[in-house]
Amino acid sequence: MPSAALLKTADSRTSLLLRILAIWHIILSMAALAGIALIWAIAPQAVWLKIVISIVLALVGIGSGITAVWIQKRQHRGRMLSLIINYLGFLFCLLYGMQVLGVFLGIDAMAGTFGRGIIFLGGVLLGYLISAFGDRYDNYPARQKVFRQIGKIVILISLAAFLLAVGLLQGLWALILQFNNPTPYFLLVGLILFSIMIWAMWRNPTAEAMKAGNVHEEMLSGLLFLSPNLLGFLLFFAGPLLFSFYVGFTNFDATTGNRDWVGLQNYAKLFNLSIVQLDAPDQPVTEALDVQVYDELTRFNVLGSSFIIGAEDKLFWLALRNTITFCILALPLSIIPALLLANLLNSKLPGMKFFRAIYFLPSIAAVVGVALIWQWLYNAAVGYINFAISSSVNLLNGIFSLVMADPQIRWLSDTRTALLAVVIMSAWQWIGFNTVLFLAGLQNIPGELYEAATVDGAGKWAKFWNVTIPLLAPTTFFVVTTAVINALQLFEQVYVLIPTEPPGGPNNSTLSLVLYLYQKGFQRFQQGYASSVAWVLFIVIFGITLLQYWRNRAGGSNY
Amino acid sequence: MRSTYRVIMFLQTAGAYAILIFFAYLMLFPFLFMFSTSLKDQTDTFRYPPRLIPQEQTTVSVPGYDGLKPLYYALVGDEKRPYALVETNIQAGVFANPNNPEVTITHPLSDVQPTGGADSQQTVTFNGEETKLWDVTVEGVTTPMVQLSQTVLGRFVDPENPSLQVLQNVRLSEPVEKPTIRPENYSEVTTLNGLDRSLTNTTLITIAVVTGQLITSVLGGYALARLRFPGRDQLFVVYLGTIMIPFVVLITPLYQLMVLIGWVDKLAALIIPWIFTAYGTFLMRQFFITIPKEIEEAALIDGASRLQILWKIFIPASVPALATLATFTFLYAWNSFFWPLVIINTGNRANHVLTLSLSILRGKAADNANLVMAGAAIAVLPPMIVYILAQRFFVESATSSGVKG
Repeated sequence: MPSAALLKTADSRTSLLLRILAIWHIILSMAALAGIALIWAIAPQAVWLKIVISIVLALVGIGSGITAVWIQKRQHRGRMLSLIINYLGFLFCLLYGMQVLGVFLGIDAMAGTFGRGIIFLGGVLLGYLISAFGDRYDNYPARQKVFRQIGKIVILISLAAFLLAVGLLQGLWALILQFNNPTPYFLLVGLILFSIMIWAMWRNPTAEAMKAGNVHEEMLSGLLFLSPNLLGFLLFFAGPLLFSFYVGFTNFDATTGNRDWVGLQNYAKLFNLSIVQLDAPDQPVTEALDVQVYDELTRFNVLGSSFIIGAEDKLFWLALRNTITFCILALPLSIIPALLLANLLNSKLPGMKFFRAIYFLPSIAAVVGVALIWQWLYNAAVGYINFAISSSVNLLNGIFSLVMADPQIRWLSDTRTALLAVVIMSAWQWIGFNTVLFLAGLQNIPGELYEAATVDGAGKWAKFWNVTIPLLAPTTFFVVTTAVINALQLFEQVYVLIPTEPPGGPNNSTLSLVLYLYQKGFQRFQQGYASSVAWVLFIVIFGITLLQYWRNRAGGSNY
Repeated sequence: MRSTYRVIMFLQTAGAYAILIFFAYLMLFPFLFMFSTSLKDQTDTFRYPPRLIPQEQTTVSVPGYDGLKPLYYALVGDEKRPYALVETNIQAGVFANPNNPEVTITHPLSDVQPTGGADSQQTVTFNGEETKLWDVTVEGVTTPMVQLSQTVLGRFVDPENPSLQVLQNVRLSEPVEKPTIRPENYSEVTTLNGLDRSLTNTTLITIAVVTGQLITSVLGGYALARLRFPGRDQLFVVYLGTIMIPFVVLITPLYQLMVLIGWVDKLAALIIPWIFTAYGTFLMRQFFITIPKEIEEAALIDGASRLQILWKIFIPASVPALATLATFTFLYAWNSFFWPLVIINTGNRANHVLTLSLSILRGKAADNANLVMAGAAIAVLPPMIVYILAQRFFVESATSSGVKG
């Protein structure tokens, strides 16, 4: 019977392919293990990098070995693992190839020519609009089709024109020129081999031979769909996060090339304080503290005796103090008006959407742009803020015949006002955002509660205190924690608004934790120390997030 | 009784609107200031008291003089008249009658004669000192006077009748102005500081990041919402847990990763790491689980592939969620500053993004508020336009951040 013979040849082909696959995985496994040896023998990379690569290769090697066994046993998990390994190998060859050929760096060149092509992207939009216009003729399929066709042609032509204009041909030519050493050829071969192996395992007869069912198809689809996101997440998020934790325990310094493990030394230095009792309040620092190690942070009096606090890393403590001060000032300033405004906006008067739109406007603008605007508003000589203050002073003097002096505040260069200036600007930018959050919370409060309160004879204030505030508590909590988390990351506002060099002036009065991290990590390149600062900040923020999470669990809110 | 109630209601409503309008003005004022300053002439930005309407000094051509001359208000008798300034730096003295030093006259030095001739100038004892006397002629009357101090005057003439002239201090004169806008500031700042290239870069990066993030988030969100595979729920918890992790923790290691793969100072560093986010995946997953399963199952039975289902059923159904994610990402990509500051070399102008160029412009054009504000407007306007068009999604992206945690 021919059909049986056909079936048999199909079977034999499948078993041949599976044998090849098993051998391939054994080779892959040995190659990976050999790769580990090779890396430790000759590669010039840093030790931590060798460790990372070794772990990856070991996983591939062991996984590949197990896969070979499972394939021999015709177990479906062998198919899954094989597909995963070959897919990862395929992606590696593809991405590494792109990196070697300079595709990613080519984005720079594309940005140079992008301006020439941007007009053709408008053509794509036009094409889309034409097809969308066709949808108006739902009852005339022929006409609709014509519009769709025209739209498609316009889109394709525009896209082609765009690609030509931004230099697709030159780019391809540059790519071909990169094939001047063995690496791209190796990767190309790898790419082809991995593709063949994926095909061999993916085809239906193999799937049947490996006893794969619908559940397994779903698993594979799930992993495949998640893979771009998951791999990117691992590479650009989880990996760096773990690495940052490691770096925090080293003296990683790009200028000296140090990268030794120092344990908790960075953290010890950060938190090293010394409190000494003074004989007299004005005793010189040199007598009280070991000035080789400590800088004077502050002095205080308790019960008639004076103390001095010295810190090994004075700037860290100053940054911490400024950041906390910023939080304490900016929070009420951005939250209390927001609560008021949200309540007014919730009153169902006409025009509320318009006001909401205006309040939200500052929060969509770039902090850099906003800081530039406020820098001129704060200008001591011609700025609007001092003008408003002078006018008010004159007005009050005129009305009450006072002789108040015009303060003439030098907002950005006075150590007493610089941080306040940052606070005011930030609060201005955050009010609208908080208002929108509060408004969403208010709209979730059932109207019956207010009606019930009205029946009970509650006035506006009573309703506000006894209905709105308690029921808004989850929202308020969310707004506060979000605002704290944002405030703790204060950086751009200070960096752009305060025109001192180095940023954070005058006299470190606006130095924030993130700014300190930036100075340590990217101006002095002590990235080990900077990572420690980052983790201190992270632990604080993580604590607040946990608090928020528990609170929500307990409150059962919908946030 | 009823009418009192209505009055109270009216007052309450009026009070509410007053507060709302006050805050609206407060929120809008900095932007008004930005636009008005970006259209001003440089001298106008330094005028005190500051004004919102851009104004420039009027100039006229005066018969007998070359070029255009600036107009000022000149005091002719008791009347203020627009006169053109035709000559500056006229040396003048402040003179007074020694018997009545309270009344002073400012007169050009070239127009006074030593009393009694240059060789035998008369003197007088004034304030206990021997002081020279000068003949000052005002309106045909010559008076011997003492010089108290020296100053500089400008010559102002009536543009219609240049023979009518007035001498007065230029700095104290009030210029004749008319509202004028200078849109050239925008082109000037664009070419001066290479903002056009930065604008292109920012546009390219924003398009790439938004597109990339939508693709990876939709695929990942669909997998997390609908496809069962081992470890899915644990992965979801991990994703959820990382949303709140601040970028600052990542900045050092991510920088080192970029050093490792050679992307420092490259635009790729501003695009590729930002197209994979836990937040977007989470957002899409939350939306996808609300879509009823029945439609999808019917399509599966009809033999549609997963990708087809995603494209034909899920994406059309989740346009609001996609738009919300797109606006959120757009703002993030357009406004980001810290990462470009760290990764792009300040010397490499070709790869600057808008925010980076602006922060440099601040230092470079420290005295040109008009140029700085034009730059700020270029950075702030695109999000504003998108916001006006798609306000709903911005507000939703803000409130959806409330879903976090």
